[in-house]
Amino acid sequence: MSGVRERVATGLEAGLGAGLAVVPFLALAVAVLGADYAFGQATLVLTYAIAGLGLVIIVGQAGQITLGHGALFALGAYVEALLAVRGVPPVLSIPAAVVVAALGGMLASLPARRLGGLYFGMSTLAFALIVEEGLVRWESLTRGGAGLAVPALAWGDFSARTPGAQLAVSAIALVLALLACRRWVSGRAGRAWRAVREDEVAAAEACGIDPAAAKLSAFVIGGGLAGLAGALYAHWIGFISPDQFGLMFSFELLMLVFIGGARRLSGALWGALVIVSLPQVIALLRDALPGEWTRSAGVEAMLFGAVIVAVVLLRPQGLARR
Amino acid sequence: MSVRLLALGLALFAHALLVGATTPGVVTPGVSTPGVSEREIVLGSIQDLSGPGALLGTPVRDGMLLRFEEANAAGGVHGRTLRLVVEDTGYDPKRGVLATRKLIQRDQAFAFLANFGTPVVMATMPLILDAGRLHLFPFSPHESTYVPLHPLKFQLFAPYQDYMERATRHMVQSRGYKRTCLLYQDDDYGLEVMKGVEAGLVRIGQRLVERTSYKRGATELSSQIARLRAANCDFVVLATVVRETIVAMSEARKTGWVVDMLVTASGYSAQTHELGGVAVEGLFGVSVLPHPYAEGANPALAEWIVRYRARYGVDPNVWSAMGYSIADLFVQAANAAGRELTAAGFVSALEQLDPPRDFFGSPAYRFSATDHLGNRHGRLAQIRDGRWEILTDYLK
Repeated sequence: MSGVRERVATGLEAGLGAGLAVVPFLALAVAVLGADYAFGQATLVLTYAIAGLGLVIIVGQAGQITLGHGALFALGAYVEALLAVRGVPPVLSIPAAVVVAALGGMLASLPARRLGGLYFGMSTLAFALIVEEGLVRWESLTRGGAGLAVPALAWGDFSARTPGAQLAVSAIALVLALLACRRWVSGRAGRAWRAVREDEVAAAEACGIDPAAAKLSAFVIGGGLAGLAGALYAHWIGFISPDQFGLMFSFELLMLVFIGGARRLSGALWGALVIVSLPQVIALLRDALPGEWTRSAGVEAMLFGAVIVAVVLLRPQGLARR
Repeated sequence: MSVRLLALGLALFAHALLVGATTPGVVTPGVSTPGVSEREIVLGSIQDLSGPGALLGTPVRDGMLLRFEEANAAGGVHGRTLRLVVEDTGYDPKRGVLATRKLIQRDQAFAFLANFGTPVVMATMPLILDAGRLHLFPFSPHESTYVPLHPLKFQLFAPYQDYMERATRHMVQSRGYKRTCLLYQDDDYGLEVMKGVEAGLVRIGQRLVERTSYKRGATELSSQIARLRAANCDFVVLATVVRETIVAMSEARKTGWVVDMLVTASGYSAQTHELGGVAVEGLFGVSVLPHPYAEGANPALAEWIVRYRARYGVDPNVWSAMGYSIADLFVQAANAAGRELTAAGFVSALEQLDPPRDFFGSPAYRFSATDHLGNRHGRLAQIRDGRWEILTDYLK
């Protein structure tokens, strides 16, 4: 068991290393691109990393397939937006967003008691569709497809309107989430998740672990983290609508965690860095390249796809693999 | 231990940023206008070149580029060349926010033109306005693109709600329909159209008999058409885009249901009759700018079509014409603003501009100090013999 603890700790330290490695990149980006642009990018990277941590718990630690993480993210974003427009301070609204998304995670995990593997994955897909449809149909609350404008995150005299302030808030949230995840992953819950991941029957028979409870806790924590990320995202983007949280978004988050490395906490940060920043890096390179072809429609999407394929081929365990 | 050290480091970093965040921005007096140098004016555009709106975004971009290239070839605007930097968001607001910050800070865009898609526009417009940059003529039906009045935001395109109110009323009154129904996309676009149709019907003492929706990207509308048919509709308004328009018409014809349908300007496209063929014959549409057909074109339009083909190797469409019109309006206003170009000077020039109706047959765009919506009107058209025929002038 101490070996597991060591591996977790080592993985976490690699994650912290990744975090520290971001700092020189950020400094370089600030110098080259300007503070607001660099901070804006970093804010979204850290926010997505929080959602990615939830997927590391569900997918990487507990070994469950989920295709509905975007829906949990959406629940957090909508709860936060609805409370923020009613003047509820973030100290209350953000925990509420986390709780609602965690409850959503609990709900999404219920079929896991009877279903496994891809069948369970399909049930999470259905959950995502139901949530998206609910957000569209419940017009009196969500304004349906018309979307909701979200005010800046503000509490008392503090208002996170600038990219620097937004980055600070996301950084604090990510650090807190990382510390909490480290505790969970290296503790009893983490051991139960990994046991379920490796062999569900053996975990139950040999170790007395309740697989259903282990999956439930993974989804509750993963959902809560998605809710936290969604709450921050709503403020940083300033406008949310159901179509932003469709299936493509769930797939994007799943891609994030596989590219970064699903089994390590640091994978969330690496994955977020690639998913959020790579299109921007490609855009900057495109500006620097001569010739008409770089202006062709879809060239950035094509290059992005090519890089993703290369990463998957060269680092199948993810960028955070040691 | 390293966790605590990192947490401490990040906390200190966050504290520094928070302190920085509470310090008001410093404005240096006498600094030149962003994006305007001795030699050039930099403009930004956030387009969808790879997402669901790519069929529209690409010709819009090409139309703008063509007009700016022509202006540059003619000596630019007061000796300055125009450079348009286009960013692709794929209809993703996150990418839109990042692209906006790039265009504001790195490219120093003087103005943003024709930003595309409501989620992207709603996420990026506050950043653009906060940075003191012009937000001009976005492709979004959201009314916040022109109200409340803001000195830096202007809209060119007639709101769906306004022109569909007039178009519905005109159609029902002139053709005597008694049972109007609506098929709409369940997003902000569909809801805006619904408001307009309902308002138009209320004004003539009618109401919507039936309404049914579909999700964006739907390729099968048989249940919706069956529902409308069961309601015995004699007139169906379509808040659809090209593909759904064709699918709806085809499904109705396939089941032997002959009913008049009217689509918004989003379905008024050459692709509708090119792809729909016989199934869409007789479809009514609302046009806010006529499609640039080569056949029967006036000399100026015919010449423009030749130039467009030579530049891009394809025929232009209505979206290319819109892009060109937007860029042309910018060039006119920038010329009128004079050599000392500032955002305030440009706004003043645009508010007083009196552009003539162009060779596309566009409406007369007019802005004022109290109204930054340049046009509220559309005109009726119908697909006859495989092309759109304009039926009326702009409905007022």
